[in-house]
Amino acid sequence: MNRYRVHSLVALGLVLASASVTPAFAQGTAVLPISDAKARLAVEREIASAAAKGLPVQPLVAKAMEGVTKQATGERIRVAVASQAKRLEQARTLLAPSPSVAELTSGADALAVGVPAPMLKQIRAAWPAPQSVVMPLDVMTELVARGVPAKHALEQITALMQRGATPSQIASLGASVQSDVAAGLAPDAALEVRARGVMSLLPSPAAAAALAPSGRRP
Amino acid sequence: MIRRAALGLLALATARTAVAQAPPEVRLEAGYASVRQAGIDTKTDAALVAVFWRRPSDRWTFLTSGNLTYSRDSLAAAQGVAAFALPWTGREYLRTDVGAAGATFSLRSAGRGGNGNAFVRQHYVRNHGGAWLGLAGGTTRRDGNRSSSLAGDVGAWGRWHFVYASLSFSRQASNDFPLLVTAGVPVSPFARTFELEDAQLVLQARGGPHEVAVSWTNRRAVAGAESRANAVSASGVLQLTERVALTASAGRQFADALRGLPQADIATASFRVSLGPRLLPVMQRSVIARAEVEKSPAGGGELVVHVFSIESQLVEVAGDFSEWQPLPLERDGSYWVARVRLAPGKYRVGVRVNHGEWRAPRNLARVRDDFGGESGLIVVP
Repeated sequence: MNRYRVHSLVALGLVLASASVTPAFAQGTAVLPISDAKARLAVEREIASAAAKGLPVQPLVAKAMEGVTKQATGERIRVAVASQAKRLEQARTLLAPSPSVAELTSGADALAVGVPAPMLKQIRAAWPAPQSVVMPLDVMTELVARGVPAKHALEQITALMQRGATPSQIASLGASVQSDVAAGLAPDAALEVRARGVMSLLPSPAAAAALAPSGRRP
Repeated sequence: MIRRAALGLLALATARTAVAQAPPEVRLEAGYASVRQAGIDTKTDAALVAVFWRRPSDRWTFLTSGNLTYSRDSLAAAQGVAAFALPWTGREYLRTDVGAAGATFSLRSAGRGGNGNAFVRQHYVRNHGGAWLGLAGGTTRRDGNRSSSLAGDVGAWGRWHFVYASLSFSRQASNDFPLLVTAGVPVSPFARTFELEDAQLVLQARGGPHEVAVSWTNRRAVAGAESRANAVSASGVLQLTERVALTASAGRQFADALRGLPQADIATASFRVSLGPRLLPVMQRSVIARAEVEKSPAGGGELVVHVFSIESQLVEVAGDFSEWQPLPLERDGSYWVARVRLAPGKYRVGVRVNHGEWRAPRNLARVRDDFGGESGLIVVP
């Protein structure tokens, strides 16, 4: 069976599962392409359990599919899905009150690379809803994965956000740091230099405050 | 002499390096050579045996090869080369090759003796072209007389679909006059050295594992001798199975003062057998994978994955963007390329070669993947 089709069926099954809080897999609605039936059932139960808690199933199905592609054992896939579910749950608390699925996924990935949990709260506070924290979280994740200390990365990203940087400008920061690191610059120093570069393009703090929409910190 | 050459080849073939980790690539070639040495009218039938051994490590590639050409009465030559290819940290488009080579020979046309030479060559390599600059020096002992040579070359290559072209210029200075004399080149009786300039054009076409190549060389003596000549040669590789290929070549080889080899017209036909792993089990670091995003004015961008790998059979990329469904890269010469349109966001990316282990492209931030491996992380603005 085509894997995309399987994936769609799995997602559909899980949506139904999350709505009815009934493990759709147990009813044979859809099947993950894991050859070991016992392991497959364990993974499906893990996903259904997360769905019952109101967590998004798409990131969990994606994690399972990644494990299938990487030829991981059924037990390893189950553990990976359970870990991802735990991170999603943690991210939901940290990014409260009403994070989107994309924000939850980004938050979970940030936690996975070692971004300290309180920092997710700080980002949310600096960029309150309905503003999306997806891009800041993603750039933070990339910088930390590159070896930039989380505290330093947060300071620079927060400063940019307070100066009114757009998500695109913040994302470009990550790309610029990447090229600098490839050229031999230390990640920390690369971020410092690039953040200054982006900062120079932004309006002054006073102007940013005047331009900022209500509810957003200057 | 033959025993000495065989021992030399054995030593080269079994050379080990403590830090190399990847499985070696070993090729054996055996066949027939028809050689007409310059200055000798008759053709010589000879046996040809060659071995190629290459082992990549995390940071460099070590290779060594040797060949033995032997005929009962008039021709015996053994050559060996050992070289390191060193990529530059953070600048994969730069590579430095350093190496040394040695030869021992007993030729009716050019006497008995041996040669040693060393070279360094700096490469600049991009996707569709590159350039190099090299310097080499060697010394030859021939019938008790010693000579030395110095050579420099500069060249550039380009690729258009499956056709490669390279143009190079080299200049060599030497006092190994017997080489020119046997080739019938008039030499100055007063000169202490001679200098030769070569311009070489090589055209190569590759179709899958098969390839054909034609080279044309124009040689001009600029000091110590008077000569202007052209030489043409052609070669081909026909892959018969995954492990066995048929190779053939024919053409003129100009006298090579750096390596102490005389001018000769040579035709060869041989079988090449791969003795190493049939398919590399994991993606080696010598396989250089890079992933970059080309921004789109409309937002998002295009993920461009480049993998440099000559010997791979299949290269795939997968990630969040494909729901971890492997997408095959398209072969483009020594490179494999994939382009995927992406919306803004963060994506995890993995690349694998020959169904091996999934690895993060080299230039991306790396994250653990919960399965004991790693993925690359890329953010599309």
